[in-house]
Amino acid sequence: MNSGMRILLVEDEDKVARFVTLGLKAERFAVDRAGDGKTGLELAMASPYDLLIVDLMLPGLSGTELISKVRNKNTEVPIIVLTARDAVDDKVKNFEAGADDYLTKPFAFAELLIRIKALLRRGPVNRSNIIRVGDLEIERLTHQVKRNNVAVKLTSKEYGLLEYLAVNAGRVVSRTMIIEHVWDQSFEGFTNIVDVYIRQLRAKIDDPFKRKLIHTMRSVGYSLSDGEVK
Amino acid sequence: MNPRSIRFRLTTWYAGLLLIVALAFAAYTYKRLDSYLTQEMEQSLSNRVFKISDTLVANIPKTGEEYVAREIKARYAPELNERFIRVIRPDSSILYVSGIPSDNNFDPGEVPIRSGLTAGHATHEEVVKNGARLLVVSKPALAGQERYMVEVGASESVIKDVLNRFVIALAMGLPVFVGIATFGGYLLVRWALDPVQKITGAAQEITLHHLDKRLPAIRTGDEIEKLSNTLNQMISRLDRSYQMSSRFTADASHELRTPLTIMRGELEMLLLEKKLPEGVVEMLSSLFEETARLSKIVEGLLAISRLDTGEARMNRVKFDLSELAATTASQMCLLAEDKKIKMTYDTGTPAEVLGDPSKMKQVLVNLLDNAIKYTPDGGAIHLSVNALNGRALMEVSDTGPGIPEAALRHVFERFYRTDEVRSRDIEGTGLGLSIVQSICNAHGATITAENRKSGGCSFAVEMSLATHT
Repeated sequence: MNSGMRILLVEDEDKVARFVTLGLKAERFAVDRAGDGKTGLELAMASPYDLLIVDLMLPGLSGTELISKVRNKNTEVPIIVLTARDAVDDKVKNFEAGADDYLTKPFAFAELLIRIKALLRRGPVNRSNIIRVGDLEIERLTHQVKRNNVAVKLTSKEYGLLEYLAVNAGRVVSRTMIIEHVWDQSFEGFTNIVDVYIRQLRAKIDDPFKRKLIHTMRSVGYSLSDGEVK
Repeated sequence: MNPRSIRFRLTTWYAGLLLIVALAFAAYTYKRLDSYLTQEMEQSLSNRVFKISDTLVANIPKTGEEYVAREIKARYAPELNERFIRVIRPDSSILYVSGIPSDNNFDPGEVPIRSGLTAGHATHEEVVKNGARLLVVSKPALAGQERYMVEVGASESVIKDVLNRFVIALAMGLPVFVGIATFGGYLLVRWALDPVQKITGAAQEITLHHLDKRLPAIRTGDEIEKLSNTLNQMISRLDRSYQMSSRFTADASHELRTPLTIMRGELEMLLLEKKLPEGVVEMLSSLFEETARLSKIVEGLLAISRLDTGEARMNRVKFDLSELAATTASQMCLLAEDKKIKMTYDTGTPAEVLGDPSKMKQVLVNLLDNAIKYTPDGGAIHLSVNALNGRALMEVSDTGPGIPEAALRHVFERFYRTDEVRSRDIEGTGLGLSIVQSICNAHGATITAENRKSGGCSFAVEMSLATHT
């Protein structure tokens, strides 16, 4: 289902580029790779890519410069920044330059993949007031949740988590993404909280029913869906 | 005014020294004045003695004794002039003695007659009436073959009067002059120290925010210029070492993260392969887990190094530690509930502090996470924040096994783990508490660990309230 999607990877580390390309190709993305900033900019300007993955420390032209130059011409293309730097103002600088997401090395490829997919399908995100996943019904204005027409009482954090999963129904969201969206902050030692909340949520939404809606995905994240998730 | 400032101390010392010197000078002047006045008086008494003996007593054989007595009275009017005059015959009987002086200071009749004073001209003091001192000059005078004795005296109270007036003038004038001089000294010290104050202010500003800036050049050629030059050299050296250490952490993070990224990524790719034998998958998964752990350790070490070198960007704002503690605890209480641990918190007292809320949140998360990890199922954790005497005190205590006494001082060391923890195989990087300590240090806060008497241990973070910094 990713076929036809073209991704430009601007990364000077050959080995990093190799496994990212390999992994993306396995997911049936078409991948072009540029080894330095200049080539990256030329490629990005020449062909219409669906997504850019940009390393920050690049020879020639820095990642941040590349991003702002690309943004000046193309406001649409989603850009994910990959970097070994993680200072807060680095993040701010790159978001200002026009990056859409930010991953700090060392990253899990699965996390990168989830974020790529989230960005590529960002357009038609479910914005309706009532979200239905199978027999689960979420009323976003009143925060009411029903499964099989029976009301389920959730705490506000549980609701926040469920809503985030529901908005992205059918897709995998990573623990870090959940923390960033539901808790606003990310901390070492904090990720366990997500697992605990998911367990609580499962106890209320899934355990009483035969058909499970919350799925654990390859130890990187979770997904809410009525059926199999790819 | 700060009593420990150089300005204050210098002025105080200066005033003290000035007072001592002024007093010594006054004492010296007093003594000199005293002896000068005494000499003067002696001189005038001597003159009179010579006059009486040469012009009157020497002529006794011609004029007779009666004449002498009359002449003395007429010429010198000793009672009016408050003088004592006495002429003694060779047989020690009195030829003439003056009467009670007009100021009634002494009684001439009480002045003893000295028998041994016939040898020559002499000065001596006689004490008469209520301790009043009389300065007497005596001289033998020859009248023909007879040796008479002429004595002239005056009360020393005249001298004492002058001296007293001198002391009164000093007592009134000295404080005024010392006061004026002290004020002048204070202004002088302030003028001299003003550049120091300016340099201090500028240096403070530089060390806190802009190590790339330098103190303004002072070209006065004096000690102040030397001081500012020395400080500038020091700031340059600080700047260099700061840049070096921050380049090191930046380089280290890049150099360490890149291979980790590659290892992790390639392992992930390998694990996607469906056709791997069972044992290989297990080993690869274990390798993957270890790489993830190594990544965490690297992140932790970099975080500590950044905090310790002061390189970590601190977003200093005023915030309520109690509120932060309450939110963090409520976010984490589910983790505790998961282990049937009862987590209570007492964060009713507002405690406004100055610091980076996200860093302090990390402190709370690590401490609570630690407490949850080490407290056995069914235990309890208590979190409290208090404000007392200008300090904010945050405490996390648990009912866990506590920390062995010998290990207490080591718990904040990097990678320090007690044998017990090692054997229980509790997951972690061994850096959580080191990060906590580094964050506390960067905030000027102190952290202490202790075992509670009722069992379990407690960690206490203490820092200044915002109003006291």
